[in-house]
Amino acid sequence: MEENHVIIAVSIFIATYGIIISEKIHRTSVAMFGAVIMLMFHVLNQEAAIDHIDFNTIGLLIGMMIIVGITRRTGVFEYMAIKSAKIAKGDPWKIIVLFSIITAVASALLDNVTTILLIVPVTLVITDTLEMNPIAFLIPEVLVANIGGTATLIGDPPNIMIGSAAKLGFMDFIVNLLPVVVIIFIVTMFILKILYKDSLSTTEEAKLKILSMNEKIAIKNELLLKKSLSVLFITILGFAFHESFGFESATVALTGAAILLLISKVEPEEIFVEIEWTTIFFFMALFILVGSLEEVGVIETLAEKMVDLTKGNLFVTAMLILWVSAIASAFLDNIPFVATMIPLVKGIGAMSTMSIMPLWWALALGACLGGNGSIVGATANVVVSGMLEKHGNRISFIDYLKIGFPMMIVSVAIASVYLIVFYL
Amino acid sequence: MRKYVNAEAMQHAMKLLQLGAKVQQFNGKMCYVEFEIDGHKLEYAYNINGKNQYFLERIKPYPLPLKAFESEKDVVEIIKIDMEQYKNAIKSKNIDQFIEISSEMNIVLRKFEDLFLYYNISKEKADKMKEHIFKVEEIIDEIQKDSKRVNFLKEPDNLKTDI
Repeated sequence: MEENHVIIAVSIFIATYGIIISEKIHRTSVAMFGAVIMLMFHVLNQEAAIDHIDFNTIGLLIGMMIIVGITRRTGVFEYMAIKSAKIAKGDPWKIIVLFSIITAVASALLDNVTTILLIVPVTLVITDTLEMNPIAFLIPEVLVANIGGTATLIGDPPNIMIGSAAKLGFMDFIVNLLPVVVIIFIVTMFILKILYKDSLSTTEEAKLKILSMNEKIAIKNELLLKKSLSVLFITILGFAFHESFGFESATVALTGAAILLLISKVEPEEIFVEIEWTTIFFFMALFILVGSLEEVGVIETLAEKMVDLTKGNLFVTAMLILWVSAIASAFLDNIPFVATMIPLVKGIGAMSTMSIMPLWWALALGACLGGNGSIVGATANVVVSGMLEKHGNRISFIDYLKIGFPMMIVSVAIASVYLIVFYL
Repeated sequence: MRKYVNAEAMQHAMKLLQLGAKVQQFNGKMCYVEFEIDGHKLEYAYNINGKNQYFLERIKPYPLPLKAFESEKDVVEIIKIDMEQYKNAIKSKNIDQFIEISSEMNIVLRKFEDLFLYYNISKEKADKMKEHIFKVEEIIDEIQKDSKRVNFLKEPDNLKTDI
């Protein structure tokens, strides 16, 4: 009976992940179907399935989506974009640098897909005004969104999952990942500067059009802006100190969301409809799928094999996790990958004497930075590609790969050096 | 899909604000309604939204903005009346000619708009045009007087019936 369960669980898991990777059917539909099939075959019961859902991750995602959903209505992103373009006096490279800084910081504090959805529309308005091809602006934004998101607990869904599973707080991520992320950001911008050298030009007339734009009228509701930014600031402060007060990160995010809903007086229905429920249900289904493998002991076996393979050597294990995560995340969805890796890393910790803390950082760096490797590597990349196509500019898989993949290799190489010097 | 729509709406709003517009965006549903009556297509489009305003437009056989209504019931009612009127009109042997004339009038209206937007028109020429329009109106009134009314579902929106 138990062996049957192992075969059933592994078969359902592989079939589900295979269909998710093929992208023939929406990933949420497939994951939910896979999860309920696990229940139907009694691989685990409903109570156990619910126990496997990490509601800290779910709560954190929902809380931040509500805060961003209200804040975006204020026009603050439009304001920052116009202001930055004017500070740059319409100079394309300076605009790219300023927008990249905004994107990286925003991506560290918000989810990077949300950041991309906020920065890309305003970038397209600026590039239309400059009468320039937006691709040169959007590729840096995608790259730095994934890089910036690596720096914090809330910046990228894999970090949220890792933080929740490993009980790592906001400040743990800041202290351990922010320094290397800053270095990777600077190196990336330096390489982009060389790549774009002399190829960015616009007319003086277009620059004047930028200077004539009025950033103040972009702010749609000043009072709401003050309320939103205050709550966002308090929430981030809450993340910084949540462990000291004994709160989970989801408690902080949901508190911020509840306060903002209350004081903004925005119709909750209008905000809730903007929450990405497909992502939320995808996460919940993934937790059940991976939980099923845990229930039947597959993850434990995989962890044993991994320890055998690396002979319990921390350096080899960390490098393996970093590079395998990066290459896998370059072409596959990093969320299901990380969901599977988390119990595996926990298993390695349980059956070996090594400290698994560096392994969490290796997983976070690999999974988040790996997303830059190809146009399908991260949801943010896919979103930009879709928006570009709608705008009449197409970026092919190969065109992106030529820039994204080497950039990803450089960033993971920097991450390797960082891990070796400070942790291994 | 929603995220792409939101992103595009954000771009539109940003551009329109810079043009000096006041922009309001709200969630709603776009409805397309299609009838096929004896081989003639009759199509409408309207928007349902939280602001309780329904912007109804006929798309086929020729485009015509109908009205902004206050309730969903009004929209269905006006479509029903319009459709019934068409059912009657389609029975007429002149239906094809009627649709042709209506379409031609739409084209004339658009050409007239282009003329004023793209050219500097003298007052004499504008007066001449006005004169012709009055003549068309006179013909319509004349035909109305000489013809038997066949549709009493509601009073016409633009023709006087007490003449």
